Amino acid sequence: MTILVSRLVQAVVVALLVGAATFAMMRSLPGDAAWRIAAGRYGYDNVNVAAAEAVRAELGLDGPWLGAFLQWMGDLFRLDFGVSLVSGQPVIAEIGHQLGASLWLALAAVGLSLVIGPPLGILAGLRPGSLFDRVLLVVSTALKAVPQFLMALILILVLSVQLGWLPAAGYGQPRHFILPAFALALGLAAVNARIARDAMASVGAMPFYAFAQWKGLSRAQVLWRHGLRNVSVPLLTYLGLQFVLLVEGVVVIESIVGWPGIGHALVHAVFARDVPMVQGTALMLGLGFVLVNALIDLLAARIDPRGAR
Amino acid sequence: MQNPFRSLLAGLVALGLALPGHAGTTLDVAAPFEIQSPEPSTTGHIFTRMGIAETLVDADPQGRLLPGLATGWSVSEDGLTWRFTLRENVLFHDGTPMTPATVAGALEIARGKPGPLASLPIAALTPEPGALVIALGEPVAALPAFLAEARAQILAPSAYGPDGQAVAVIGTGPYRVTSLTPPLSLRATAFPEYWGAQPNVPAVTYTAVGRAETRALMAESGDADFVFTLDPATVTRLSRSDAVEILSVAIPRSLLLKVNAAHPFLNSPEARRALSLAIDRAGLAQAVLRYPQGADQLFPPAMGDWHNPALDPLAHDPDAARALLAGLGWVPGPDGILSRDGQRLALTLTTYPDRPELPLVAAVLEQQFRAIGVELTINSTNSSEIPAGHQAGTLELGLLARNFALIPDPIGTILSDYAPGGDWGAMGWQNAEIAALAQALARGEGGDAERARIAAILQEQLPVIPIAWYQQTLAVRTGIEGAVIDPWERSFGLPGLRFAE
Amino acid sequence: MTAAVLPRALPTGRILVAAILGLVAAFALLGPVLVPGDPFAQSLMKSLAGPEPAAPFGYDHLGRSLWHRLVHALRLSPLIALAAVATAAAAGLVLGVVAALRGGWVERLLVILADALLALPGLLMVLIVLAIMPGTATGFWAGLSLVLWVEFFRLTRATARATLASPAVQAARLLGFGWPYVLRTHLWPEIAPLMLTAAAFGTATAIMGIAALGFVSVGMRAPTPELGLMMVELLPYWREAPMALLTPVLATFALLLGLTLLAGGHRT
Repeated sequence: MTILVSRLVQAVVVALLVGAATFAMMRSLPGDAAWRIAAGRYGYDNVNVAAAEAVRAELGLDGPWLGAFLQWMGDLFRLDFGVSLVSGQPVIAEIGHQLGASLWLALAAVGLSLVIGPPLGILAGLRPGSLFDRVLLVVSTALKAVPQFLMALILILVLSVQLGWLPAAGYGQPRHFILPAFALALGLAAVNARIARDAMASVGAMPFYAFAQWKGLSRAQVLWRHGLRNVSVPLLTYLGLQFVLLVEGVVVIESIVGWPGIGHALVHAVFARDVPMVQGTALMLGLGFVLVNALIDLLAARIDPRGAR
Repeated sequence: MQNPFRSLLAGLVALGLALPGHAGTTLDVAAPFEIQSPEPSTTGHIFTRMGIAETLVDADPQGRLLPGLATGWSVSEDGLTWRFTLRENVLFHDGTPMTPATVAGALEIARGKPGPLASLPIAALTPEPGALVIALGEPVAALPAFLAEARAQILAPSAYGPDGQAVAVIGTGPYRVTSLTPPLSLRATAFPEYWGAQPNVPAVTYTAVGRAETRALMAESGDADFVFTLDPATVTRLSRSDAVEILSVAIPRSLLLKVNAAHPFLNSPEARRALSLAIDRAGLAQAVLRYPQGADQLFPPAMGDWHNPALDPLAHDPDAARALLAGLGWVPGPDGILSRDGQRLALTLTTYPDRPELPLVAAVLEQQFRAIGVELTINSTNSSEIPAGHQAGTLELGLLARNFALIPDPIGTILSDYAPGGDWGAMGWQNAEIAALAQALARGEGGDAERARIAAILQEQLPVIPIAWYQQTLAVRTGIEGAVIDPWERSFGLPGLRFAE
Repeated sequence: MTAAVLPRALPTGRILVAAILGLVAAFALLGPVLVPGDPFAQSLMKSLAGPEPAAPFGYDHLGRSLWHRLVHALRLSPLIALAAVATAAAAGLVLGVVAALRGGWVERLLVILADALLALPGLLMVLIVLAIMPGTATGFWAGLSLVLWVEFFRLTRATARATLASPAVQAARLLGFGWPYVLRTHLWPEIAPLMLTAAAFGTATAIMGIAALGFVSVGMRAPTPELGLMMVELLPYWREAPMALLTPVLATFALLLGLTLLAGGHRT
């Protein structure tokens, strides 16, 4: 249970950090926050003194520093995220909308990466040093060096622009998933494959593995009973760490393909200086990470009780 | 390990099935504007463009006012009392009837929020049987044009929350919202009880796509049937494609350089004329905007009687520009940048990337100004920095795209920008004659001669330096008929579209 | 995981790393010497024109030499990245050693802070810092330093704890050697190779971050030549001038591949 306690502490500190950072952002906006927000709300054709004054009056943007900070953190811990400065909608409702879209995309990407990466990695790990192993090493290294936005750009150029197979952007239909999910999944799969390969190679080299084969189990049975179980733990642990990578990818990829998710909202909120939205989305992402890792800690302890501290 | 795998796969399959498909009868619109909320003061322009909400007054592509939810209007002798006769048997999308009281209520809410209506001297909005009476403190000849603006749209009383913020879009238009998911999408279907003719296309969707490249790709791949606003490179490319038809029309919007005329470097008309002479408008228009020509005066031909063909066109002549600056006492320094009394002729140009061509034009200006010895630092930032800098008096130069058709009568913009000055117009510059002329025009006195004089003063004094006149472009998928561009940026014209057989 | 089961590091691997990074560095440093020019100078007549002696990579949409823009971009991002990595490494090293030496609440506090930062996506922190800091380059430097120090801190603390508890260090302390000596002779040789790996990895992360934010238009601003920004600017002209877009794409890939190999080559 110490796992859960330390994750809880992590969650609280994440909330503190996000709260402090967004408060600093609110207070130190280059230029006047009321103007920025008015521009975000009413558009460049219509932002003027009247609009900025209306925003200033509505939000009460002036005031002493410390009181505002305590108020800010108090609201945060009462889970009152306030209202989006741009849309006027409650932040929690907006995030509720967007979270679903992002979650589907992230799940599709992780699923795809698990379908591509680990099987190839296990295949390579069964015969370390083979030609296949070397080719996989080269391919996965190259893929790891391609940032997700570049992958999206390349996929868009090849699959959408040149071949016309997939829509370059959009949301709502299954085919809209393919391109962004692949852009995210290939980088993850490159790492997954390496992890699975190394784990498989080290399991394969253990005496008990040879023993299992020797005692008469078929290759497939040995792989099933002993191999996969041992490969799954490092894979699972790494999946938790990958979550951050995934979230960063989601932020960028969503902006590129116009996906109505949390990452897209975050980039927009930062651009329009919609601080409550930045706070809400950042908090959601940070706490999501902690939650995912807490679950993975528990799951890993389940599969491999030796690791439980 | 098997179960997680299997459930993930099952999840992926379910995902594919659960998402809604598209019927062949739906028209998909893609445009750069994001849906912020149901609130007309921020997002109203999307609702009117999509044919969901309507205004009392409508306008045709020439800017002539037409009956909308009001069938006619009249004004008293003294210009202070307007009477708008309201259309009968109009139903809101929630089934309730539009009455004089609901119209007065909607406009009362609208004028309490930032927007053109808020600046009008409205004394009272009074519902009368079959009509709305608007009493003014002073005459406003363009009042019907103000009521044609998107933020003056009429929504049902149930659309507003207790604080006056709209919580739903319940309008009177030919299309009724079926789902609204800010910030990116909107779906609507034809409203069977619409007072006018039923639209040909039974269902429409709207998708906000901020990136111009992405919109271009969607037009090319057929992911959108109607794509609004294309970047110049895309227009060149798509015009060769059979899959789409490109429409383009000149609109009453100008790309201009806002000048702080109170700045010691810029306070003489000669200095501003020198900057103007440094600009190669033709080269800029062709290379960056890919338009056939640049602007040779502030008001584009699309502004009808405001455009003054008799004016001496603005020219490109760097030598004359250098001569003008030399006449003002500026001497070239060792690096070619001019200086006077130990001060370098260095200026900061503020612009914003919301319109992707602006930073590009800024980059070109930087080079062209350097050629006459003016050093430019480009600050591409949030669009609000320009009006904020205007208010603080700190802005030096601002590069911006100004819409003269915020209401379908340019006098509204002229008044706020040049009589005497305004956030997006003249700065540190005042001209009593322009102010008097514009106010007279606004009251309904005067005509072409007054408009021509305003254009002539602006050309001579250059409180802002015109650079280009905009064209609005859109791509329509081949097989869709009836598309027209509204130069006043009020409507997508969806009810007039048809799928070809 | 034992070294025996890993594929033997290819002898060609190291040569490859050196060749790729050397090539990119040589281009960035010597490019303007070989072909003098200005990354900002435009000539609109040459918009998207092909290569010529004065511009070996051709011109972009505003008629600016891609050779010189690329040189500028390949100096800018690595410079910011290296500055951020240096700051982060110094901070991580100092705080890691302090945590290991002092222990107690100091250590616990630092670990909690590092863990919390680890939970937040790096790009998000950079975005927030960019919004707070006035300059874009300094914003990137500060934001990236804030994100990257965690990795250095964790490595240093873990290594320092193990090393400081070792018999060799105990003996050195008993012999009266001061902490500076111990840290230099016992700790540094242990940490240095780890630091190099983390630095290569951090540099790659930083360059990716700068490019990604540039690509979604919230990073460096036009007309600054930056890799991601160049890509997004040239994307609309893909059909007319594919090589113009591929130039920054290939440069970015080469740079990141070199750094990834450098980080991977020393791992194990």
